[in-house]
Amino acid sequence: MIENRPWLTAFRHLMLIFGIAVIGFPIWIALVAATHPSSAFFSGVMPLWFGEQGLNNFERVWNNDDRVLGVTVSASWMMWNSFIMAMVIAIGKITISLLSAYAIVYFRFPFRRTCFWMIFLTLMLPVEVRILPTYEVVARLGMLNSYAGLTIPLIASATATFLFRQFFLSIPSSLVEAARIDGAGPFKFFKDILLPLSVNNIAALFVILFIYGWNQYLWPLLITTDEDYYTIVMVIKRLMTAGEGNVPWNIIMTTTVLAMLPPVIVVILMQKFFVKGLIEQEK
Amino acid sequence: MATVSLRHINKKYDNGFEAIHDLNLEIPDGELVVLVGPSGCGKSTSLRMVAGLESISGGDLYIGDTRVNDLEPAERDIAMVFQNYALYPHMSVFDNMAYGLKNRGVPRDQIKQKVDRAAATLEISHLLPNKPKQLSGGQRQRVAMGRAIVRNPKVFLFDEPLSNLDAKLRVQMRIEIKRLQQEFGTTSIYVTHDQVEAMTLADRLVVMNNGRVEQMGPPLELYERPETQFVASFLGSPGMNFMSARVDANCLHLPGGHQLEMGQAIDLTKLQQQELVLGLRPEHLEACEMPDADFVLQVEMVEPLGADTLLYGRLPGNEDLMVAEQSGKIRYERGTKVPLRVDRSSIHLFDKDSQRRIV
Repeated sequence: MIENRPWLTAFRHLMLIFGIAVIGFPIWIALVAATHPSSAFFSGVMPLWFGEQGLNNFERVWNNDDRVLGVTVSASWMMWNSFIMAMVIAIGKITISLLSAYAIVYFRFPFRRTCFWMIFLTLMLPVEVRILPTYEVVARLGMLNSYAGLTIPLIASATATFLFRQFFLSIPSSLVEAARIDGAGPFKFFKDILLPLSVNNIAALFVILFIYGWNQYLWPLLITTDEDYYTIVMVIKRLMTAGEGNVPWNIIMTTTVLAMLPPVIVVILMQKFFVKGLIEQEK
Repeated sequence: MATVSLRHINKKYDNGFEAIHDLNLEIPDGELVVLVGPSGCGKSTSLRMVAGLESISGGDLYIGDTRVNDLEPAERDIAMVFQNYALYPHMSVFDNMAYGLKNRGVPRDQIKQKVDRAAATLEISHLLPNKPKQLSGGQRQRVAMGRAIVRNPKVFLFDEPLSNLDAKLRVQMRIEIKRLQQEFGTTSIYVTHDQVEAMTLADRLVVMNNGRVEQMGPPLELYERPETQFVASFLGSPGMNFMSARVDANCLHLPGGHQLEMGQAIDLTKLQQQELVLGLRPEHLEACEMPDADFVLQVEMVEPLGADTLLYGRLPGNEDLMVAEQSGKIRYERGTKVPLRVDRSSIHLFDKDSQRRIV
């Protein structure tokens, strides 16, 4: 579009800059605060430029020197817990959704539509809504304080199933028929045709689901009492309430920056697929 | 190499819709049969039943000596070419052609040999490493053909394979398909709605309408002696002209007071006073001198096609639009009156109610 309206252009840029500032400023604050000693915050004013304590802060948080995190485990260990949780949730959700979407789209079985609608209805039941009954189930199964307990209740996913269903429906039926004539049974068709075609969608979903898993807060908070299973996101909140009076902002912000890194890396590494999977359809 | 026979084949969908009524078709080894008809006539359904993609509600389907009603498509030893090519987008041309062989457990070196040979026949050897999306429509169709011939199946099935190509390519591929089919001598069923394609390709033509076979036979026989008004109107481009006619003596009376004296060619005496439908192919309406004319066409539109010229117009006092095809030497103007003579030996007469052929 070619326009020549300088005021409108200026206004647009202003809005964009404002938007970026709203998002960018807190990140800036976090990055800056992570480089100061705790004494820098006594005045109650956040510093706006970098200090010299950056490496030192990261080392202390990473190794949990002097129990700065207020728990017995290190940030590195909690990052590992978060990573496992995010990976298992993302991979588990994708696997289950692929299979259930495959069943719903390509197989004729009794109550197929009912099954679809039941899956669809669970969209209305995110973890937060069903958290108490789910806790009860997990507790009775003895899965408190375990990776299984952290991940399994979050794996079933209507959103991903629905997304794959829509994608499968867009695959021309003649492709399925050609594969049947070529002698591909249900398993071969899934492995040789459907899976390779879904690669972009899988990658795009992986990004979304990894971040979803990584950011889980309420659920791990509820079912873990053993510090060995704490996740990095949980501990940030604990830090804010733990210290009496003096909140250790430098430690909190260092932990925050650490916690932001894996999602950022995943997004950067997979952004090509991410965009492709959401907009492009290869047929 | 095999015969295909459809015996009393029926197709009824779950919702009660009957798509095919009692289809009987014997295809001898090596013959190319074309199923043609308007959309919804059941031609594709018939083909898909032969392929095994659609279940057969009644009757028996034999490929060779085996009853294949309940066999999976892969077990019927058929190959199908689809309208939208249906190539696997993520596989190279080589893998597309090799996939069926791979699934059948053909050894790797044999697959390579077979694919190379098929690719050479179709002149697509240089495309083997490419992905389908890098190919043009014509090339994709060649690959789809390659996927079919590489397995050397008993039967080729074509489901409107040329509909997605442009006109020039379509003619080229049509010749190619005919050549390949004759070279391999494989029994083939070809579905199309394009009557030119149907006429040129078919050893035998099957015209279908509303799930029933209207007529089958060699293409020219159907063109020259259509058994029903439907077949007459479906074959030929531009289509046949129809007008109601009443017999009196040996003369046809047409609306608008026109008369057509039959003379020696046809004897109408047994059809006295009957109401009939007269069918005249455009090429059998010949421009002539006034004294010889059967009627005079008031030209409303002229379509010069180069070799031929199409004249559209009406007879005075007659509502029906009529087409006459003239060889292209003479120039016609809009609004002129052109005297036309009807070739008596090539008129078609149909019963008004049953729409079946009388003469």
